[in-house]
Amino acid sequence: MTNRRTIPQNLLLALAICAVLLFCLFPFVQILSTSLKHQIDWGNPSLIPIKVNLEAYKELLGIVKKEETQIPETIKRLLDNPLITEEKKEEILETYRSTSDVFPFLRYFLNSFLLSTSAASISLFLAVFGAYSFSRLRFKGRKIVQRGVLFVYMVGGVLLMVPLYQISVKIGLAKSIWGSLLSLLFIYIIQTLPVSLYMLGNYFRSIPYSIEEAAAMDGCSRLEAIYLIILPLSVPMLMTVFIYCFIIAWNEYLFASVFLRQFHDFYTIPLGLQSLFVSKNAIWDRIMSASMLTLLPVILCFTFAMRHLTGGLSEGGVKE
Amino acid sequence: MDLSIAQRESRLGWQLIAPSIGVIGLLIIYPILYNIYLSFFDVRLSGEKFFIGLANYERLLKDTAFYGSLLTTFIYLVGSIAGSTIVGLLVALLMNMRFPFRNIVRTIILLPYFAPVISVVFGWQFIFDPVNGIYNHLVVETFGLTDNRYNLIGDPETALLVVILFDTWKHFPISYLLIISKLQSINRDQYEAAAMDGCGPIGRFFHVTLPEIYFVLGTLVILRLIWNLNKFEEIFLLAPNVQTLPIFTYYTAFTGIIDQGFAASIAVVQFIILSFLIIFYVKKVLKW
Repeated sequence: MTNRRTIPQNLLLALAICAVLLFCLFPFVQILSTSLKHQIDWGNPSLIPIKVNLEAYKELLGIVKKEETQIPETIKRLLDNPLITEEKKEEILETYRSTSDVFPFLRYFLNSFLLSTSAASISLFLAVFGAYSFSRLRFKGRKIVQRGVLFVYMVGGVLLMVPLYQISVKIGLAKSIWGSLLSLLFIYIIQTLPVSLYMLGNYFRSIPYSIEEAAAMDGCSRLEAIYLIILPLSVPMLMTVFIYCFIIAWNEYLFASVFLRQFHDFYTIPLGLQSLFVSKNAIWDRIMSASMLTLLPVILCFTFAMRHLTGGLSEGGVKE
Repeated sequence: MDLSIAQRESRLGWQLIAPSIGVIGLLIIYPILYNIYLSFFDVRLSGEKFFIGLANYERLLKDTAFYGSLLTTFIYLVGSIAGSTIVGLLVALLMNMRFPFRNIVRTIILLPYFAPVISVVFGWQFIFDPVNGIYNHLVVETFGLTDNRYNLIGDPETALLVVILFDTWKHFPISYLLIISKLQSINRDQYEAAAMDGCGPIGRFFHVTLPEIYFVLGTLVILRLIWNLNKFEEIFLLAPNVQTLPIFTYYTAFTGIIDQGFAASIAVVQFIILSFLIIFYVKKVLKW
């Protein structure tokens, strides 16, 4: 309020700000730190690694392939035993190969990226027209549409897990991988469409009508007005909505786990990381590097689009 | 074709919204109704189903796990909402003061909210890891509060606390953002008038600030109730043993002894609770 603060008050303020920053940033610093540590260093509470270890990042990004799996001595001796058939040997070797197989991070990343981008694009495309319709055109039933959007926006995907699964089983989509991916794509679209409609609707309403009227005078049709006037004016908001939709799909675990369970090659990032985390030991460094790498694009977006993102939040209402 | 302008506008309106309505109707509204229908059946994972009337609901009323889940959900909601709103309010009051680098600090604060859940849950797990985590190091080695290292996330009761803390961390930025935009719109004269009436900083908070942000706080609480009731990933990926309603439904529908009809009936209960909250929000906050 006023600038008249005593020194102790200033100190207290500084302390409070530091506490808030520590609370916000500590988990991120911890993730970065652990991703750079060697295994022996994990239990060390210091955040600075004794020796920086980039192996985890290299492995995740496929820069180095983990060489020939380590087979215990006893097993090697067993394999030298002439009494064991070739087939049996192959089988034993196979078990070692599959359990110590490298971390297919890039693959998960790509799966997630493709799925999230497609879902966010389709839902944004549908939402632009839908939101324009109920926020700027007058027609009978528009109020109901508007309220309906708000209602479905608040109904979470959790409520739909049984019916959506049953429907896709019924029409035979859950059997094949492509059917499952298609179901998942549709599910991500409906999880993001109401949010997009809601946010865009609020935003479109804030654009003055006079701009469009002027365009109509110049002979623009309504559709041309969307394309030539509304869209260019809404670029920051469109980006914001896209990022939100993208993150919703990027985080999604529930339906991915249901539909992709037996298709390991098509795991998305949350599903892949979770299953590796549960099934393997001593992979903190790789899990943390994976966390860092999935965080990176968001931090980049965040630094570039910060103003628009927060502006979008207050203008478009909040999402979740 | 001699439609009036109003008719043409109306027609275009419906044409533009039709694809969205189609998708939402087919994949949200219909499944909600279908879910209610399924809750009267014994549904197998393969899609086979047998009508059993209200048996699922009767079972639900007798199921102690269900009541346990309701209690967990309740504690989770109260804890996470109180946490994110109170921390959000305190941070907003703090950020409303003048200090150097305020803009950068304000930006950094939003990071937990924008970070994807999947990028941060494992970091949180690491903090509470019994072998390597800083939490156990502080509690056992540094302060000597307990003798043994304890797996906080392994035990459902303490895991719930970790989930609440995580949720507070993740969601306070949005509360902060909404509260501070209201704080900035409060007229300075009001504070000066209150100061002249002899109000100290605390008195000014209760007489000027609180009445002004009261409505925003209420809105935040009700919205967060609705959102958090639907939360799945943030709880499940951090602590799969904390069974709030969505997670309880998930386990019933897809793991162990699979019983999709029973899961559908739990989802119906959740839907009813949610509908009440939404109606309350719409009536009291949006004032339709």
